Amino acid sequence: MQTVEIREALRQAIDEEMARDSRVFIMGEEVAEYNGAYKVTKGLLDKWGPERVIDTPICENGFAGLAIGAAQTGLRPIVEFMSWNFSFVAADQLISNACKAHYMSGGRFSVPVVFRGPNGAAAQVSCQHSHNVEAIYGNLPGFIIIAPSNAYDHKGLLKSAIRCNNPVIFLENELCYGDKMEIPTEEYLVPIGKAKVIREGKHVTIVSYSRMLKFCKEAADELAKQGISCEIIDLRTIKPLDIATVAESVRKTHRCVLVEEGHVFAGISAEVGFQVMEHCFDDLDAPLQRVCSRETPLPYSKPLEKETLPNKERILFALQEVLR
Amino acid sequence: MGYPKLEGDLEPKYRFYKHNAEKVISELGAKGLLEQLRRMLLIRNFELRGEAAYQHGKVGGFYHSYMGQEAIQVGCVAASGVSHWYTTTYRCHALAMLLGATPNEMMAELYGKATGNAKGMGGSMHMYADRLLGGLAIVGGHVPIATGAAFSIKYLKQKGLASFCFMGDGAVVQGAVHESLNLAQLWELPCLYVVENNKWGMGTSIERALAIDPIAENLAKAYGMKSYTFDGMDFFNCYAGFKEALNEVLKTSKPVLIECVCERFRGHSISDPGLYRTKEELQRTMERDPILLLKQTLIEHGMLTEEQFKEMDKEAREVMIAAMKFAEESPWPDVMTLERGVYADG
Repeated sequence: MQTVEIREALRQAIDEEMARDSRVFIMGEEVAEYNGAYKVTKGLLDKWGPERVIDTPICENGFAGLAIGAAQTGLRPIVEFMSWNFSFVAADQLISNACKAHYMSGGRFSVPVVFRGPNGAAAQVSCQHSHNVEAIYGNLPGFIIIAPSNAYDHKGLLKSAIRCNNPVIFLENELCYGDKMEIPTEEYLVPIGKAKVIREGKHVTIVSYSRMLKFCKEAADELAKQGISCEIIDLRTIKPLDIATVAESVRKTHRCVLVEEGHVFAGISAEVGFQVMEHCFDDLDAPLQRVCSRETPLPYSKPLEKETLPNKERILFALQEVLR
Repeated sequence: MGYPKLEGDLEPKYRFYKHNAEKVISELGAKGLLEQLRRMLLIRNFELRGEAAYQHGKVGGFYHSYMGQEAIQVGCVAASGVSHWYTTTYRCHALAMLLGATPNEMMAELYGKATGNAKGMGGSMHMYADRLLGGLAIVGGHVPIATGAAFSIKYLKQKGLASFCFMGDGAVVQGAVHESLNLAQLWELPCLYVVENNKWGMGTSIERALAIDPIAENLAKAYGMKSYTFDGMDFFNCYAGFKEALNEVLKTSKPVLIECVCERFRGHSISDPGLYRTKEELQRTMERDPILLLKQTLIEHGMLTEEQFKEMDKEAREVMIAAMKFAEESPWPDVMTLERGVYADG
């Protein structure tokens, strides 16, 4: 076993897959000589050289499209977006090309590319740098969307993503890159499309993913003091959604709260919640509750930022509502 | 040779690549040249029949005809071969056919049938071949894709290969195009960017859309690239020019920018009556029909008679009528399969 930060888990995944397959390379802004804006790619340039660890100019539309074209013609690119907010500059490439090429060509061309980088809020980076993109890209058939919460899953899922023959949206979090965890030294994979029950409980199911799980655990700890046990599910993969794991839990607890960093309207919770209704309508003892970002751009000011995002208090309030 | 010259003030504006037609004639010979004429006639007849099918309600969506521009892609593929990567716009029928898609599968795609080029998923704007990445229909959005194909060629050290990217004059102002040119020149990618300047972005003339003119000569300078300008109505100029440009790219592993000055004979798409052009303008343009120009040269060189030409045209027409029959008789895609293929296996 080894104790690693999430950034190191990601680096190991990239490094191992580059060793395994010479068609794998990584490109993005500052990934090579600067060693990555968040040091995920630290040391990779020295090890693999500039042909496979490639600094790009600041032109997301250009290099994202280039990577898609490279994927269609025999390579397996990993593209780092310094922030997923910048993916909007490349939205046409992701939306019109990456997720449509296989279907539109009648199955002739596949697009094995991974787009990865930090998603969501960081430390007061304000309105334009705090977006959660999963609901936007999740609305488009053709993408795989992965949002892990810990070092073990980051490594295992990124390795699976790199081996996947479809375009993958791989969502990390700037505030979590330093989170440590003990993971195996030997190679392992985590399968795409499998959620995980990370805490068993019997009174209510909490469904979440990525950084929000921290607040879910805090809220669950609080309720545990009152003798209420929460079952917490880490979706890990958002698309394809492992609704079976969610439904199994809800059938047991009969109550469900969905927690998501993104916005309320047409968010991931709206989708998961609807599917819970489809699968578990007769099992529910209370209406679903969801905790999401409020319907504003993310404000800069610290107290405003905290109240805009889901937090322990807001999750507790929702839990108390469904447990009433 | 008795070619009509480009009209009006066009000539001094563009400095066309200087070719030697006799050299091309001896290089391709009668057989080779007749094959190119046959390909141009196949494309022309495909478009005529496709349009007819559209008018009969057999074809939906948008339909962008390549009529009038045949010399460019026919010349390009004749000069370069089919082993390179190719990417083009929604005006994709000619290139798909030149790279191996059959008239039957293409017509079936227009009809939306299961036997279609893209199994009925793509339609008129999205046709493919083993080396054709599309048929992509967001103006300028396909240019990074072609750049990626050039990247693959370099990464995989595939000698003798290049990536060809066709785009219209309207695409030139898109950011994706500028980003691609910069990346390709910066990273020395073997890509030929080919602007087919038919002078209209839908109904907007290039004068109202572009701050530069000529396109290739000016734009290439900005990125330190080599540029070429071809007379897109002249098969010989295109053939010789593409041959030279590809050699340059393979020799230097650097991209080039090519402008093919041409005219489309139809509106932007089938629903565009082209009211922004006068009848006289269009008529003058059609005097330089690339098919008639090539035919004339072949007749002058005793390689073709008027009768033989008529026979070739008739054969091409029959191929397309048979393709329409094939498309008509082909089954619709099974609706049970419509959700298949969103994801690749594995």
